[in-house]
Amino acid sequence: MSNRSNAELLPVKEGLVTGAGKDDVTLLGSKCLACKEVSIGTNPVCLNCGSDQIESIKLSSEGELWTYTVVRHKPPGEYLGPDPFQPFGLGLVELAEGVRIMAPLEGETDAFRIGDKLQLKPWILHAADGKAYRAFRFARKSS
Amino acid sequence: MADSDIVILGTGIHPFGRFDKTPEEIGAYAAKQALEDAGVAWSDIQTAYLSRMYLPATSGARILRRLGGTDIPIVDIEAACASGGAALRQAVIAIRSGEVDTALVLGVEKMPRGFMDPSMIYSPWQVKMGMSMNPAYWSMRAMRHMHEFGTTDEQIARVAYKNHKNSVHNPNAMYRKEFSMEDILNSRLVCDPIRLLEVCAANDGAAALVVTTAKRAKELGGRPVTIAACVHTIARYSADFRCPADSMSATIANVGPTALTAQKAYEQAGMAPADISCFEVQDTDAFCEIEIYEELGLCAPGEGGPFVEGGHADIDGRSPVNMSGGLISKGEPVGASHVAQVVELVSQVRGDSGARQVAGAKAAMGHVLGAGGNCAVTILKV
Repeated sequence: MSNRSNAELLPVKEGLVTGAGKDDVTLLGSKCLACKEVSIGTNPVCLNCGSDQIESIKLSSEGELWTYTVVRHKPPGEYLGPDPFQPFGLGLVELAEGVRIMAPLEGETDAFRIGDKLQLKPWILHAADGKAYRAFRFARKSS
Repeated sequence: MADSDIVILGTGIHPFGRFDKTPEEIGAYAAKQALEDAGVAWSDIQTAYLSRMYLPATSGARILRRLGGTDIPIVDIEAACASGGAALRQAVIAIRSGEVDTALVLGVEKMPRGFMDPSMIYSPWQVKMGMSMNPAYWSMRAMRHMHEFGTTDEQIARVAYKNHKNSVHNPNAMYRKEFSMEDILNSRLVCDPIRLLEVCAANDGAAALVVTTAKRAKELGGRPVTIAACVHTIARYSADFRCPADSMSATIANVGPTALTAQKAYEQAGMAPADISCFEVQDTDAFCEIEIYEELGLCAPGEGGPFVEGGHADIDGRSPVNMSGGLISKGEPVGASHVAQVVELVSQVRGDSGARQVAGAKAAMGHVLGAGGNCAVTILKV
């Protein structure tokens, strides 16, 4: 497994995820200077008003669970989560910037409740072709 | 009926299910039935549209070859689950333009079993992270609705109970079995809180409509049904959390696509929710139907749970919904779905629906909603 940990980490989505080292992750967003709307990722135009006056911002690493579900079957396609499959929480996490981002939830699936305070966590995904990706999850903040 | 009205003169349907038949076979089957019902010859059709999502290029042309030699145009149309509404709308526009007076609208689909191929709509990173399951989106909406309005598992199951019960009387449905509330609530969870007996399945099916002017219908005779409205929209910015969205705004909440499309359709038809006798709507999952009651204006926001629990959406209720059994029982061959809803609704307003007939149905609405925020609403009347 050592070759795996040394693999270069690619952002799971260019312009959305960045970080230094395998224990770090930051989410990037776009703030429209015209209508002030914030969207996730690095976008050339505002998804609300279409303006190209965009400022790149870092998004909060903490948020609140707005809604969630538990995925009980392996998702279709090239899912890179645990193998064998384990049911996992999936939620919309509201960030202070005024955007709700969809993200897998780390931890016991029965424990989640709407309104939970969450913390962003790095999540490294390994593909069958040897590539490794820097992805992200949210976990409940320890009280 | 005014001479300028656009009408459906004939309908056809191939049962929904899984068949060892080609799209050409089931498409031509539905088309022939529609021509026969309309009492028009194949040579009377001047233009055609095919609603489909999963079929390959030139599928429309291939289906038409099965009906006999022709040189009329056919365009294959895709708007996810709303494809049928988009195709019917094109026929209405073509006839209204005066270029043609009679058109054929086909909805045909053949889909693999199980979850839909995620690469059709999702980005690779969503697939890698496990966010490419359509039911997960429906479930997250359900969880939020339960949190905000106190909607219960039993109320969600009541939708599935009603639709499975109605399906027993629909020979074109894939599943025609009644289930008890207990059966439904004990079926396994797909994505919490949505259970197996509360979701629809992808399958095969075909439906067809002959569309013409009221003037032409009078010449031909038959039993025309007026298209009072046919509207297709895509959801406004952050109006809807539906696949393949990866986020939504916490500051802007635009009117949802169902409410928006219905509002335009009510306006086009000059009708209000109380004027509509019955509805066929997008119950991809049982919860979805609860939200649709609210957005179509059948009840107040947040009241969808008590509405179904009170029997108001039953065939003998105030606003019957999914008399056909809905997508939960019929399955959802995406391209055929809305066209088949219209087939059902034509049958309802003609009074031909037998054991699933809504007494005295005079006006009916079909609604579909899916990926990309695509939504379509058609209103029919006699």
